[in-house]
Amino acid sequence: MTHRHLLPDEIDQLLDGEVGFGVAPLVAHVRECPDCRAALDDARVVVEALERLPRLAPASTFADRVMADVHVYVPWHVAARDSALAAVKPFAPRTRPVRVLLGTMTLSVAALLTAASIWLLGHLDGALFFAGVVRERVLQAGASIGEVVATTLFGAPTATALARGSSLVLLATVVMYALALLAAALLLRTVAVSRRRRD
Amino acid sequence: MPALFDLANLPDADVVALAQAGRDAAFREIIRRYERPVFSLVYRMVRDRESAEELAQDTFLKALNHIDRYRPEFKLSSWLFKIANNVAIDYLRKRRLATVSVSGAPNAATASEIEATSFEIASREPTALDAIESRELGSAIERAIAGLRPEYRSCILMRHVEGRSYEEIATTLDLPLGTVKTYIHRARHELRRALSDVKDET
Repeated sequence: MTHRHLLPDEIDQLLDGEVGFGVAPLVAHVRECPDCRAALDDARVVVEALERLPRLAPASTFADRVMADVHVYVPWHVAARDSALAAVKPFAPRTRPVRVLLGTMTLSVAALLTAASIWLLGHLDGALFFAGVVRERVLQAGASIGEVVATTLFGAPTATALARGSSLVLLATVVMYALALLAAALLLRTVAVSRRRRD
Repeated sequence: MPALFDLANLPDADVVALAQAGRDAAFREIIRRYERPVFSLVYRMVRDRESAEELAQDTFLKALNHIDRYRPEFKLSSWLFKIANNVAIDYLRKRRLATVSVSGAPNAATASEIEATSFEIASREPTALDAIESRELGSAIERAIAGLRPEYRSCILMRHVEGRSYEEIATTLDLPLGTVKTYIHRARHELRRALSDVKDET
């Protein structure tokens, strides 16, 4: 190590606790040189004074003033969920005995359904035959109801076209249903967001 | 009925997620956690309490009104400090009296501006006591910080008051690592020069 004093950057290296190839000679020099030791101590005093500086506090009303101008955006699905929960909450059981009774009833229904499913699996062929019969009956009933609804809504010619199963008409019908669903979703969103709008 | 969860115990990322979902309490928790560090940084940058409160308020409004822009790969504190630093620097540039120094701000043009932006270092009069109490050192260091350039000030405050690493400061302030080290080293040198009359009793 030369007999020069430490440069300011070298003092900073020691302050930062750096380790490495060039640091050991600096440390050795500081041990032997009272002037550089004093300079390092003075530098440490400054750093320690900085680290002791307190965190200052704003006024006690700071948070309220900030929140007064914050625009809280609630995503529509969160607003819809909150609205649904708020609607159901008055009917939720509040006392422990009622909650126990409701829980017991739910478990009983679940157990019955499970037992029924197991029985059905054991009698699968009979169940499939029965399901086929039910399907035929439901399709016939659905066709009858659909014919009545289509005739009522769109008139006899359109109802006849639907009954013939034209692909273009079916496509138009599907598109109409999709638009109706979209309109319902948008309406739900509007209702949900309007309930959460801040004053 | 006890709360389902305690916001104070959640990590920053979870609190931000709740804020992005529109929870008022999450916004207030972010303010509660960081009002002191942000205000401290801004106050020591601008040296005026009323302005610091307004600028700290602006910082939180910019952050919370655009909470959807927060990227979770960065620390929330770094994001807030970045906004606070930019707000303070913009304020100082508009004021155009960026520093208070022994000889007045470099941009001070009139005698009154020079007087307003200068301070005196205590003279080396011999006193009965050689030691300066730590309280006086604290006041002296606060005055000395005010004499630093804004860039040096923000770096030295984030390093030694907020305890951030060099790499974190570089990321927060969008500066190269070498520049951050240079700014901090120069700030320390200037503070040592400004405090050359302060000695601890050993």
